[in-house]
Amino acid sequence: MKRSVQILLSSMCLVSVSAYAFDLGELKGKVDAAKASIPPVNPKLAEAVKEIKGPSESEEIAIGRQIAGNLLGAAPLVKDDKLQKYVNRVGRWVATQSERPDLPWHFGVIRSEDVNAFAAPGGYIFITLGLYRTFQSEADLAGVLGHEVGHVIRQHHLKILQQSKLVDAGGKALSKSVGGNDKVQQLIGSGAEIVARGLDKDAEFEADRIGVVLATRAGYDAYGLPSVLQLIGHAAKDDDRVALLFKTHPLPEDRLNKLGSAMGDRFDRVKGLTLEKRLLKVQK
Amino acid sequence: MNKHKSWLVTIVFCAAMQSGVALAGEAGAMSKADDMKAEPFRDAKAVKALAAGEKLDILSKQGGWFKVKAGKATGWVHMLSVRKGDAKKGADNASGLLALSSGRAGTGKVVATTGVRGLNEEELKAAIFNEAELQRAEANASSKADAAAFAKQGKLVARSFDYLPAK
Repeated sequence: MKRSVQILLSSMCLVSVSAYAFDLGELKGKVDAAKASIPPVNPKLAEAVKEIKGPSESEEIAIGRQIAGNLLGAAPLVKDDKLQKYVNRVGRWVATQSERPDLPWHFGVIRSEDVNAFAAPGGYIFITLGLYRTFQSEADLAGVLGHEVGHVIRQHHLKILQQSKLVDAGGKALSKSVGGNDKVQQLIGSGAEIVARGLDKDAEFEADRIGVVLATRAGYDAYGLPSVLQLIGHAAKDDDRVALLFKTHPLPEDRLNKLGSAMGDRFDRVKGLTLEKRLLKVQK
Repeated sequence: MNKHKSWLVTIVFCAAMQSGVALAGEAGAMSKADDMKAEPFRDAKAVKALAAGEKLDILSKQGGWFKVKAGKATGWVHMLSVRKGDAKKGADNASGLLALSSGRAGTGKVVATTGVRGLNEEELKAAIFNEAELQRAEANASSKADAAAFAKQGKLVARSFDYLPAK
């Protein structure tokens, strides 16, 4: 990595030096025109820069939008606009407490009795109806959304895309238009497979730590996320509804242990609201 | 603020803080050794030392604390020292939902009338971009101002709190 940065830097110097020499030597008197022209950019160099710096925010959002559209292709939204609006309000309030309050945050509840939640780059976050049913208070919802917001602000999925390119597998399989943005689709592989891939365990633990903090910052009781984890941990390991969640996340018990030691006594004097009465009920 | 008002605020505040959630005697066990406390605070008086694995009934919840009954003693235990219930084979709660989530729908197409299905890797991989549904999702977005107003309605007040270190 260091080496490639060095090479990159020196090649950047070369580009600017040669452009300068070119101006002085041959095009005296046409300085203005030269100034107006953009120095030549080697497309490979531009790609390399992007790989190091990561995609721009608008690219990040485009990637997330594509993943979100695919995920909704697998499981559409619950047809309950009141519920969707409610989850968006709580989610946006929680996300506002993060260092990326101005991303175009979107939240949704999808039609699946699985217990799971998904975050895509750029601020697209979906939780399953099955997970929503486990909530006993708005603080539970806030804690879970805080965890997903954590994935987005720390760009966990984006980093996976950068590291291990799903490009080949997806790109070659795609010869026809797939809807949405074809170019972005080639980057993310097939459909919404990116959300079915597990993140690094540490990324999950980090998102847990962020989740309780964002919920706390938002004025909620900090123990929403731990409560939900406890409930999920209660589910039998062979329960189909948690199969994908358990496959892609550390077990709830491990997460609770890690979270417990990270939280320590920091939250002892911090009171927050649970708002169990405001939690919107969903039909059985 | 006059006396009346401050009383009211206190009452509302206490109602919000102390309400707790009744849990109707849910079964649990200690996930690690910890003290049962007389009150839901870490520095409250210890009532009894509980060993890892010790069975208890969870009576209610308040913040990070469970009110529990262990043997004849009743008191408060930190929720992170408790494991809820026992993981049983099959689903002991909401088993009807389990039976319906078969996981595979075959075509990868969504049947609009049935909302119940499992999500697995194959399905997610085969998922086809759904622009209409995505636009519905985007239409439900909440602005910062809207979210702040909703928070205010619930008496939520934003505050600063540092991120937690990894260890």
